[in-house]
Amino acid sequence: MKGFRYTVTFGALALLALFLLYPLSLVLNASLRVNGTGAVTLANYLQIFASKYYVNSIGNSMIAAALATVGAALIGTPLAFCLARVDLPGKTVLLTLATLPLVLPSFVAAYALVLLFGHAGIITTGLRAIGIPIGSIYGLTGITIVFSLTLYPYVLMPAMAGFKAIDISIEEAARNLGGSRMHAFRTVLLPVAMPAVLAGALLVFIEALENFGVPVVLAEDRPFLAVDIFKLFAGEADNNPAAAGALSVLLIASTAIVLLVQRRYLNRRRFATNARSIPPLLPLSPGWRAVATAFSWGTVLLSLFPFLAVLFISFLKFRGPVLTWQLGFSNYSLLLAGSYQPLYNTLMLATVTALVATLLGAPIGYIVTRHRGGLSSVLDVIGMVPFAVSGTVLAIGLIIAFNSGFLTLTGGWLILVIAYVVRKLPFSIRSASAIVHQIEPSLEEASINLGVSPFWTFVTMTVPLMASGLVGGMILVWITAASELSSTIVLYTSRWSTMTVRMYQFLEGGEGAGSASAAAAILILFTAGPLLLVHRRLRRQDASML
Amino acid sequence: MTTIRIDRITRTFGTVRAVDDVSLTVDEGKLFTLLGPSGCGKTTLLRMIAGFADVEAGSIWFGDRRIDSLPAHQRNIGMVFQNYAIFPNLTVEGNVAYGLRARKVNPAEIPARVAKALERVRLGGYGPRWPHQLSGGQLQRVAIARVLVIEPAVLLFDEPLSNLDAQLRTQMRVEIRQLQQALGLTAVYVTHDQEEALAISDRIAILRAGKIEQIGSPEEIYQRPQTAFVAEFLGGTNMLPGVAGAFDGQRTEVATCGTSISVPGKVAEAGQKLLLSIRPEALRLAEGSDGPLLQAKLVLREFLGQIQRLHATLPDGTPIRVSALGGHQVGGAAGTALAFAYDPAQIIAYLAP
Repeated sequence: MKGFRYTVTFGALALLALFLLYPLSLVLNASLRVNGTGAVTLANYLQIFASKYYVNSIGNSMIAAALATVGAALIGTPLAFCLARVDLPGKTVLLTLATLPLVLPSFVAAYALVLLFGHAGIITTGLRAIGIPIGSIYGLTGITIVFSLTLYPYVLMPAMAGFKAIDISIEEAARNLGGSRMHAFRTVLLPVAMPAVLAGALLVFIEALENFGVPVVLAEDRPFLAVDIFKLFAGEADNNPAAAGALSVLLIASTAIVLLVQRRYLNRRRFATNARSIPPLLPLSPGWRAVATAFSWGTVLLSLFPFLAVLFISFLKFRGPVLTWQLGFSNYSLLLAGSYQPLYNTLMLATVTALVATLLGAPIGYIVTRHRGGLSSVLDVIGMVPFAVSGTVLAIGLIIAFNSGFLTLTGGWLILVIAYVVRKLPFSIRSASAIVHQIEPSLEEASINLGVSPFWTFVTMTVPLMASGLVGGMILVWITAASELSSTIVLYTSRWSTMTVRMYQFLEGGEGAGSASAAAAILILFTAGPLLLVHRRLRRQDASML
Repeated sequence: MTTIRIDRITRTFGTVRAVDDVSLTVDEGKLFTLLGPSGCGKTTLLRMIAGFADVEAGSIWFGDRRIDSLPAHQRNIGMVFQNYAIFPNLTVEGNVAYGLRARKVNPAEIPARVAKALERVRLGGYGPRWPHQLSGGQLQRVAIARVLVIEPAVLLFDEPLSNLDAQLRTQMRVEIRQLQQALGLTAVYVTHDQEEALAISDRIAILRAGKIEQIGSPEEIYQRPQTAFVAEFLGGTNMLPGVAGAFDGQRTEVATCGTSISVPGKVAEAGQKLLLSIRPEALRLAEGSDGPLLQAKLVLREFLGQIQRLHATLPDGTPIRVSALGGHQVGGAAGTALAFAYDPAQIIAYLAP
């Protein structure tokens, strides 16, 4: 038993040390020295806090993340209750659709908002033509809207699981003691589900704080942390890797603190009520049922509307940046006339990432679930670190670490795969661990007792039992890797450009709105397609992965 | 202080009649138990009284007030749940105060009433604790305090002891009984444990497939079961098939299991098929006593402390169980011939279905 455990634990720790902790330590190191050399100093940090621009940048990111957290909780919690307890028409379909925003690239939604409500947006110009002025969606407004509408599944999934885990007798006891249904919801159901809601909401905060794609599309000239880090590191105008390092460290520190709070909070307050069966649906009057249906379907469709709009717009002809109402495939031909290479790259990188992340994540997830304490706990914690590290920061670390020296990786495809694998590893570990939880340990003990070594027991019995779940997790990794932007944008080279990078380039150029919409449409198809194909298998795990 | 009257109520789930035209009355201040195997409808009946299951036909009355169409939260009933249903997000105090707050009781009164209710269930000083810090027995006490504090018209217990270990179960049932008697509350108690039902109840209704088989005091139900089902369900009787013989003016001889047993009175016409119920404790090892005897062969002896259980076979091989006092030495290995004496008055004959 020990041999297998130690091999996995030490192997995983070594890989994480080399490709996660070492690069991050170099970022920290760079942030503590002026111009990358010299004595250790806090000058870079002082410079940041003295600069109104950077203080604004931190402030804007924090405010946007906080507003997004509130927004996602306000959308996700009632939706979770409706999905858990109300007899909604088409609930299965609705639930599948509600998980889509989690994997669809959020910067595509941001771009859709620009296409519809931007300076030259369809709706903006339409309204302006009939004399109705419309406020700007750039900056905090748009960013908060996009984050809330794309990140609410982080609240929805655990909250729904939370509402479903409340034994019906708890609710009946509240009613029996004289509480009306509303009173019981307010005093018992909501407070009991609250830890689940908050756990999800804190993940929204982290995701929103780290996100690069949405502010890069919607911020215009307002400073945002994730964007500024990228510009300071890779930009031509104001290149300052040391300041980028300092901002990165601040970003990691914020997300790490929130992640720690989230884990501590969850550990302390978990109101298990051990539901013996899922609580029954509420007997609602037709009126209330209609309200719940309208709210649930309305919210989910609204969150998917930007993506549908992009799909539609991608088939319209652009004349320069100006949209016309002529249908056609010109955007696609223009996009692919350049080269099919980015599309191939995206598919290849996502596939390799999904395979490697699953091969690493499965044994790690198994070890951290089956063995508590000691090195397994260390692995458990370090395995979750990538969650607190934004893609941009990790990519910067990887570049500093592997630009030269004993292991030179920059410029190739491998560094992209490494970045993706490290970023998606928490996901693979969680998904594997969720499945292991469902497998009785006595099965393995029986196998070992009958004379099969722990390693072969894992390979021949546990892995096949885990297989269906692993495939689900693998597809989710594939989808999120295919739509990755924040580390790709730092690490790509022209040979290894991806669809997301092409889309970013078209947007930055300003002239490529048509091609950008085509690239966005292709991304949507490649992410939504596989998810819809396997949604049944995935749905069972979504909640446990968060 | 309420009489509960249930009048011809019915509830079906799909094609199954979970509760089938049941009528019963629970007198004021009495503890009434619904007893039966799982699926007999006892929990459904209880939940209909509480308002968690709809009544399809019939009515439920508290005194002269009809309550079956009131919403659950307006019935003023205290229900103790099988899994306690303690609110995990509230402290012990918060749980006990819950019903008072829902009733908009003057907040100044609440702490004193909560403290008094906790004293009642011997949990004084436990108010600030969280549910996860309490044991199963303590949680059950909180659940009881939580319903006592609202001074309900009626108490309902849904298998309240089934999640506790054996020792705690007997202790808690004494406490529940004492509280119920001291407060003079009308209570309906659901259980599938016949010993618990016998120990705690003023009256018992035995349910089977949604219908009442028999209602009576524990003694009546145990000693004079009206149907073979009740006899078998309560106390695990020996049920022997037989054929009635001639009536000699006092007793009827019944041919059964390769032997013959006499039953007082004329239980059936000669030749009719019967079922004889003989309680394990109605048989005792014969030591030269006169009166009718039953010949059997010992199969296995289980020593259980206060009593011992003898497994034996009658002449035709039918197994029979006999309870004897533990102190009584039974010698011999399997196969030893035994003779059991019995009092014909304790044997009940039913017409075979």
